[in-house]
Amino acid sequence: MDAFLTSRIISDILAGLTNGVIYGLVALSLVLVWRSTRILNFAQGAMPMFAAYVGMVVFAHELGYWPLVGISILAGFTVGGVTERVLVRHLYGKPEINPIVVMVGFLIVLEGVAAAIWSTTPRGIPNPFSPIDWQLGGKPVSLSPFSVYEIVTGLVVMTLIAVLFRFTKLGLQLRASALAPEVSRLLGVRVGRMLTLGWILSTGVGTICTVLVASNFFTGLTPQVMDGIFAFGFIAAAVGGLDSPVGAIVAGVSIGIILQFVGDYVNSNAIILTALIILIVSLMVRPNGLFTKSSARRV
Amino acid sequence: MQWILARRRVAVTAGLVVVAVVVTALTASSVRDGVALGVALAVAITGVATLTIAGLREAHPVLARAALTVVVLDASLFATYFFSSITNFNLAIGAAMSIVLLGLSFLTGASGQISLGNSAFMGVGALAVAIWANHHASTPIVVTLLIAVVSGALVGLLLGLPATRLRGPYLAGMTLAFAVAFTAIVNSFSSWTGGDAGLQLPTAVTPPNWLSSLFNAQTSLLTVNTMWLADITIVVTGVAFFFMANLFASRTGRAMRLIRDNDVAAELVGVSLPRTRVIAFMVSSAYAALGGALWTLINNSVSPPTYSLALSITILSLVVIGGIGTIPGALIGGLIYAYSTNVISWFTAHTGINPQGNLASQLPGIIFGGLLILTMLFAPMGIVGAVRRLWAKRRVRSAT
Repeated sequence: MDAFLTSRIISDILAGLTNGVIYGLVALSLVLVWRSTRILNFAQGAMPMFAAYVGMVVFAHELGYWPLVGISILAGFTVGGVTERVLVRHLYGKPEINPIVVMVGFLIVLEGVAAAIWSTTPRGIPNPFSPIDWQLGGKPVSLSPFSVYEIVTGLVVMTLIAVLFRFTKLGLQLRASALAPEVSRLLGVRVGRMLTLGWILSTGVGTICTVLVASNFFTGLTPQVMDGIFAFGFIAAAVGGLDSPVGAIVAGVSIGIILQFVGDYVNSNAIILTALIILIVSLMVRPNGLFTKSSARRV
Repeated sequence: MQWILARRRVAVTAGLVVVAVVVTALTASSVRDGVALGVALAVAITGVATLTIAGLREAHPVLARAALTVVVLDASLFATYFFSSITNFNLAIGAAMSIVLLGLSFLTGASGQISLGNSAFMGVGALAVAIWANHHASTPIVVTLLIAVVSGALVGLLLGLPATRLRGPYLAGMTLAFAVAFTAIVNSFSSWTGGDAGLQLPTAVTPPNWLSSLFNAQTSLLTVNTMWLADITIVVTGVAFFFMANLFASRTGRAMRLIRDNDVAAELVGVSLPRTRVIAFMVSSAYAALGGALWTLINNSVSPPTYSLALSITILSLVVIGGIGTIPGALIGGLIYAYSTNVISWFTAHTGINPQGNLASQLPGIIFGGLLILTMLFAPMGIVGAVRRLWAKRRVRSAT
């Protein structure tokens, strides 16, 4: 049993699962915004990055890890809500490229401002979880207290989002205003607020994800920490179907595991190349994503 | 009547050319100045004479565009003769960039899609030139540039096939992934591409002997070389713009604009959506590769980390600021790019920002990103759109 748990295949699956949860969270936050406002938010990595800097760096000397996480998440909610109210609100009903262009501009401004204030040097964030893998019979299992923390947090967030959308009245209103804004408005749903809430939720999910990435002993927090992860997250969201939260999570986790195998058995440069090929092939085979049932076309 | 007018025009033009040549020959201080000025003036006069024929733009639009291109090229080439080598270098970098901008502007303005991978396509062209030159050093420049264009178009086809069929932001996302992946892809084939360190050209691009011998010994070789590079870039830019202007006005160009405005209507009148979109994307990738190839010639080397996502976003900003889907917009964007570094360092020097500090190093990104957002929100058609709107308003006012 010990030999099995420390074998190369199981190690890759466990390490891939840890990355995959991160990709799944980014993909989920993209899907939340896409479903509610039909905007692919290219600043979905940068907005949480900014929130994480506000939370984790500004008060780093006064507070412990958990209060810092709390402040980060609150900052994430604020960034998401303010962005929707100030910037995104002007983009509804505009040609498809307008929101893309504006969010790309926002991405580069946020990264520039963060680097101007806090420099591009990685910030380590001390946290209570050891990044050292557990040992079994003298050999490491590819699992550390920190990666368990990542996986568990990711699963909890995903479950909470699922519960919110499936089983609460608020979730029903959120789904209704995404699918049929006019009808929802007639039925008394405050659609404008629901759209803002969609952005708040999505940036919150993104912030939790960024905090996990930044807490990792080996990466730390940098202004561009989410650039690469955003690319993987987008690939996961597109493969799973931009409309499907379940698809985003499943695709994120699967891509994380597949890429871990590629990185282990081929080399690290092949990882993103493989991800690109997965995206190309999946868009050719299932253009609307693996988990989208209908492909209703809006004229 | 028209025939007589045309004959009189030819006579006047020929007379002007003769006068110009005689005057330059008498006043020029040296033979080379006289030849340069004489040729430039003769071409300019003939070009302007063609351009001013009444009704030419309606009757022979291609000829009108050709004449305009020739006049602008003539003036720019003549100007490089007087510019310092720094100005020529900036001009060359900016002109090459304007080709890239034109490609993206065309894609967005014609098909309504957007690419965030243009830096990577530039990198494809830049590397293609360097790799080819390292294996076949004696290939003429034109052939090397064509190889870069073809490789850019092929990579564009590969990425464009799945993404351009789809409605929605897939092309933007996929090209973003391509831009992020570019360095890793280059490193995967490092025996060819030299990895992060990049490649040097085996021999620098040098002017042909007749040009060097025009200059006397006082002019340094560097000045002559830079001038030659600027001239090559300007001519290539002129040809690229000429082709694009024709493509934009052609049947394919009209089909693309119809797709942008109403793709359902386009399909109903028999335009093939996937094919037209893929073509638009391939053209824009090929143009980006051409710009990157010219950068390799100008810098005499290629450094893959240059072609990062940040460069892609700068390209997008320049296109939007200049004016999406307009030809002057791409030229304005190229000029802005050529001088942005100077302007920004002037700005830091005059506002007391520490030039070695974090803020100074991040300023280009913040300024370009901020301008990108503001332009998109308040003047979505950029500088060219704003000028055109003012122009239209003035004409309406003077008519009433």
